[in-house]
Amino acid sequence: MLDIKNLHVAVGGKEILKGLNLRVDAGQVHAIMGPNGSGKSTLSYVLAGRAGYEIIEGSISYHGEDLAALPPEVRAAKGVFLAMQYPVEIPGVTTMMFLKSALNAQRRSRGESEMDAIGILKTVRKKAAALNVSEEMLKRALNVGFSGGEKKRLEILQMALFEPKLAILDETDSGLDIDALRLVAEGVNNLRAPERAMLVITHYQRLLDYIVPDRIHVLANGRIVAEGGKELALELEAKGYEQIVKDAA
Amino acid sequence: MTLALALPTRRVEEWKYSDLARALGDAGFGEASARVSIGAVPAGVEVFDLDEPNRPDWVKAHYGKLGGNAVSAVLLAKARGGIALRVPKGNIIEDVLSLDFAGEGHVRALLVLEEGAALTLSERFDSHETRNVGFEIVLGPNAQLNHVRLSPVSDAVQVEEISLTLARNAVYCGHFANFGAKLSRIELAITLDGEGAEAHLSGVSVLSGDKHADVTTKVTHAVGRTQSTQLFKKVAGGKAQAVYQGKVIVAHGANGADSRQTAKALLLDGRAEADLKPELEIFADDVKCAHGAAVGDLDADSLFYLRARGIPEKEARHLLIHAFLEDALTDIANADLRETIRGAVSTALNEVSA
Amino acid sequence: MSSAALETKDTVAGLGEKYKYGFVTDIEMERAPKGLSEDTVRFISAKKGEPEWMLEWRLAAFRRWLSMTEPKWARVHYPAIDYQNAYYYAAPKNTPLKQSLDEVDPKLLETYKKLGIPLHEQMALAGVAVDAVFDSVSVATTFKDKLNEVGVIFCPMSEAIRDYPELVKKYLGSVVPVTDNFFATLNSAVFSDGTFVYVPKGVRCPMELSTYFRINASETGQFERTIIVADEGSYVSYLEGCTAPKRDENQLHAAVVELVALDNAEIKYSTVQNWYPGDENGLGGIYNFVTKRGDCRGVRSKISWTQVETGSAITWKYPSCILRGDESVGEFYSIAIANNYQQADTGTKMIHLGKNTRSRIISKGISAGKAQNTYRGLVSVYGKAENARNFTQCDSLLIGGECGAHTVPYIESRNPSARIEHEATTSKIAEDQLFYCLQRGLGQEEAVALIVNGFCKEVLQQLPMEFAVEAQKLVGISLEGSVG
Repeated sequence: MLDIKNLHVAVGGKEILKGLNLRVDAGQVHAIMGPNGSGKSTLSYVLAGRAGYEIIEGSISYHGEDLAALPPEVRAAKGVFLAMQYPVEIPGVTTMMFLKSALNAQRRSRGESEMDAIGILKTVRKKAAALNVSEEMLKRALNVGFSGGEKKRLEILQMALFEPKLAILDETDSGLDIDALRLVAEGVNNLRAPERAMLVITHYQRLLDYIVPDRIHVLANGRIVAEGGKELALELEAKGYEQIVKDAA
Repeated sequence: MTLALALPTRRVEEWKYSDLARALGDAGFGEASARVSIGAVPAGVEVFDLDEPNRPDWVKAHYGKLGGNAVSAVLLAKARGGIALRVPKGNIIEDVLSLDFAGEGHVRALLVLEEGAALTLSERFDSHETRNVGFEIVLGPNAQLNHVRLSPVSDAVQVEEISLTLARNAVYCGHFANFGAKLSRIELAITLDGEGAEAHLSGVSVLSGDKHADVTTKVTHAVGRTQSTQLFKKVAGGKAQAVYQGKVIVAHGANGADSRQTAKALLLDGRAEADLKPELEIFADDVKCAHGAAVGDLDADSLFYLRARGIPEKEARHLLIHAFLEDALTDIANADLRETIRGAVSTALNEVSA
Repeated sequence: MSSAALETKDTVAGLGEKYKYGFVTDIEMERAPKGLSEDTVRFISAKKGEPEWMLEWRLAAFRRWLSMTEPKWARVHYPAIDYQNAYYYAAPKNTPLKQSLDEVDPKLLETYKKLGIPLHEQMALAGVAVDAVFDSVSVATTFKDKLNEVGVIFCPMSEAIRDYPELVKKYLGSVVPVTDNFFATLNSAVFSDGTFVYVPKGVRCPMELSTYFRINASETGQFERTIIVADEGSYVSYLEGCTAPKRDENQLHAAVVELVALDNAEIKYSTVQNWYPGDENGLGGIYNFVTKRGDCRGVRSKISWTQVETGSAITWKYPSCILRGDESVGEFYSIAIANNYQQADTGTKMIHLGKNTRSRIISKGISAGKAQNTYRGLVSVYGKAENARNFTQCDSLLIGGECGAHTVPYIESRNPSARIEHEATTSKIAEDQLFYCLQRGLGQEEAVALIVNGFCKEVLQQLPMEFAVEAQKLVGISLEGSVG
């Protein structure tokens, strides 16, 4: 589904990703682990198409299509979803209103009919209950005044609502206490499906106790330096990044 | 047309709250020259008397170049003499330099801090006589000036325009303590002309009787990545009038400009007046600009809290007024000067709430 | 949704395409001779069949106007207006005194249809009474009967001068004096029509009153004059919509609106101003020089202005409140959008004269393209206004680096017990907000419209609800092409 080859990306003239290779197939969950500054967030932004992330070399193929050529909203409509580390606050725009606008924009882009407000409301309510997102939260302005946990739950709710093909979770565990983490992980696990791939980006191993990946890749200095099964996370936890990076070198 | 006719009335927008023509009356500013003197000259500071012939290059390069408010024309034509000061490149002056303006009439001054120079300037305004001062300040790259201006209570008309230009990474911190006059106006025209330049302005006014004090600022962010902050606090009793007009301009393309402006006034008497006009003029989009202004009475809850703890009302009010002014005083970096201003504030407050 | 709201909704929904209202109706017009003189004033007065006192009032205004000069303090720039090169009266021929809609020129009705203004009997159910002013003459007014039942007068100004001269004499010029300012004085001399509303004591007006203004004839100024009087304990909500056809020349619109609220009365005045703004290069568009003022004359009276200003090449407008009555309340909620070469200088004045008076100002300015957008506001507390309160929030949003956003508040207090608070911010649409929306599948313009609407929300929610929903669309349309 996703095939990244020799990807070099610069931000503000500085090269962050330096020849990254990664392949993720449908139905799989891959984890990207790495120390701070290794390029994890750059990878997630470049996949979602944020401006200012310049591809200087390499390619990103998504369902055989050149992903880099598409504007971010088209990527979203084609099933790329990025659950952000710091979900953005938009004052004055209610959460429900935002969900409706985004869902219908994606549907329009795919040539599907728009859903009416009542239909969306029903769908959202059902999915919201499972993630402990209250009716009151849906009425508040998007992410404004939400706690860290509330923001993350809302990201997962959007993921459930948009039903993406490729879900990228950028440090979804950051700022969550153990109960919130469990709730979010459960939400993610419920979305595992044969037609869906997930890329879980995290600094710590603890998220992977709850979302067990098929593969783990270690990112350091803009490259994948180690790969392995779920047991690699435990090795990382025991040895630390420094040692793993050294071992790989 | 005589130059005196050009004096602004309150019909001129920038002088709306300060009717200079009326305050001066028929006499106008007159033709006299006021005096400017300096205290002990610290080592590393150069002084030039503008009355002397053969002006050095640095005076020629900077004198008479800045400024341009409504009274500048009068000033340029009539001022004779004055003083020019220079801190050459890299000189960091530890001692405070004092500059005193006195006498009746017009006078001009120039201060140049070259690249990397640093100075603390204490400016005093003698309370007697009608005076019109034009002061130009030029800060080179990485120069740093701490400036504290004190103008004691006066019965005269006293006007000063300070024009400042800052090169890259230069930092200016100015504090303006003003206790009012028949008409008192300090006008600051600041141009942040190099990236990384910063201007931080603060000031207090404590006015009683029929005093007037006007602080007018115009800060121009001519280039991007420049910063300005302003914090002015005013207390007016009697029939006094406290005025703050602050204009922040961000020029076209000056992205990354960051500006904050706060002006607050407390009125202590039914006949006192506060006029605040914080203004933003923004021609670039990638900016952070905000201003806040407030006029009001002391916070009733705080007052009650203090009284509930046994502090008599008068004392409690005093305490809260001090607290109100205090955060504008903490910005004065030099401890001695800060204490001087604090003392002047206390004296004035005793007057106002007596 | 009430049918009234549906009605309004359809009207604004019509804005779906770029300046859809830029059509010209081809009807024979009757005009006053070009230019402005005492004769022009006499002509207008005669055309309206006005009594002598009205003519004298106009002439006095005209003589006064001759000695006045155009105000220059606003941050707007335009070539000098040649007041002698315009028509001051243009009326569709033979329209006055229609008894039923059937008699109205079908082309006029067609125009209203395009505007989405219904003039049929279904409107009774809709609960909206419409007084449509087409250039200078009020064509047809509906629902008089229903309003008559409760004693509400809602009629064209010309009719009010004829039928209720005492009321008109009492209130005309009582809030905006003839001598108030250049444009108001000009209006006093040449106003051709407008709306008159009187709500009697204790009456809650049973429907939203609504007027649509449209400038149709070329080289014509429109000078409507509106008076709304809410007698003791009454309530009225009034909606005003404005459009004009596309023309290359600039057209002048100088209206005067006077509101009077007596003891315990409340007036809510909402405007959606979408006069033709000129094209992408700044050619054409309306010069909108308007004086709107409300007088909270009675104790505990309230006047609330809400405006959505998206049109006009130049806007010069400061809907104000004189808070004369003790405990009276003034409000100003404003959205001003300036795109391309538009210039807006708009804001309010809150004059606190009475004790315990309160005012609230919420202003949202959006600048895009090469536009200049200025908020100018005065909060003035007089010595006797014990415990006066004001809160002002004034936010500007910039889209693109070629436009300007300016904030000029004047805060004057002469009472120690008064409290005035003013906050202002200027910022651009945050890149991360935009990216977040794009990532979730919203298109660029959709994302901008969404974020800007969020920014304006506090004001939009002051409008009748369904009307607000459609005003949101107008916000998006006005900003089309602003993001590259």
